[in-house]
Amino acid sequence: MLLSDDELWALSYYRTSEINGSLFFGRLARTLKPSPIQHDLTKHFADEAQHAWYWTDCLDRLGTRPIKMSDAYQDQYLEAAGLPVNLMEIMAITLVFERRVINQYARHLAVPNVRAEVKETIERIMEDERWHVQWVRDALTGMEDRFGKDTIAETLRRYKAADREVYAHTLAEHEARLGFLLDAHPRAPED
Amino acid sequence: MTTPSNDEITARIAEVLGVAPSRVRPEVVLPELVSDSYRLVEMAIELQDDYDVIFSQADLSSVTTVGDLADLIRTRAT
Repeated sequence: MLLSDDELWALSYYRTSEINGSLFFGRLARTLKPSPIQHDLTKHFADEAQHAWYWTDCLDRLGTRPIKMSDAYQDQYLEAAGLPVNLMEIMAITLVFERRVINQYARHLAVPNVRAEVKETIERIMEDERWHVQWVRDALTGMEDRFGKDTIAETLRRYKAADREVYAHTLAEHEARLGFLLDAHPRAPED
Repeated sequence: MTTPSNDEITARIAEVLGVAPSRVRPEVVLPELVSDSYRLVEMAIELQDDYDVIFSQADLSSVTTVGDLADLIRTRAT
């Protein structure tokens, strides 16, 4: 059975978000001087690129092709919260975003009768996403002396507020397409 | 680290952005040099790394020109 238009749209949206994440982190990895953060960020961007491939391959195995999209979820973040201007802010926005990604994929896994190809793809990606949250959280902890624990906590609060706003906006904007996800209840919500 | 001069900073900005130094004059507004907001983020990260300073969103919201940015870096690097 072919994917519904709504499922195709959602999977294509995930793919585009992974591509945009990869491009952003790739540019950043190119910018940073050698350091543990540069090391982990390089793996992070490689993972995101791989995830975009997983979705492309998943869609192929499902007998279809991704929809070409220009904007991704991340672009709305920048509009809602402003451009991150230092490395701590980039790590903070990344931590909030990665948690949202895990939450969203968990929600998708909870959709009744989720297709085997989709389930396999999400589970494969989730393994990396857990590491992404871990390394970014550790990087932020390592920045406490330089940026201040309170400043980091305040930045995370700001980006979490932006995330809630963007997610609500995305659901409202694409309510018809994402309706099949709204009734799904993940077993272990992340936030 | 000694405080960098405005000339040194503008030369570094030109290098980071990959534009001709003659284009990076104090009165030039940054969007003329950086049309892509992601490039602006990269430049900010690279300059903070170079001069061991930290920018905040409030700092950068008051930066319009190359001269403003050079002044900010010079003040912070002092």
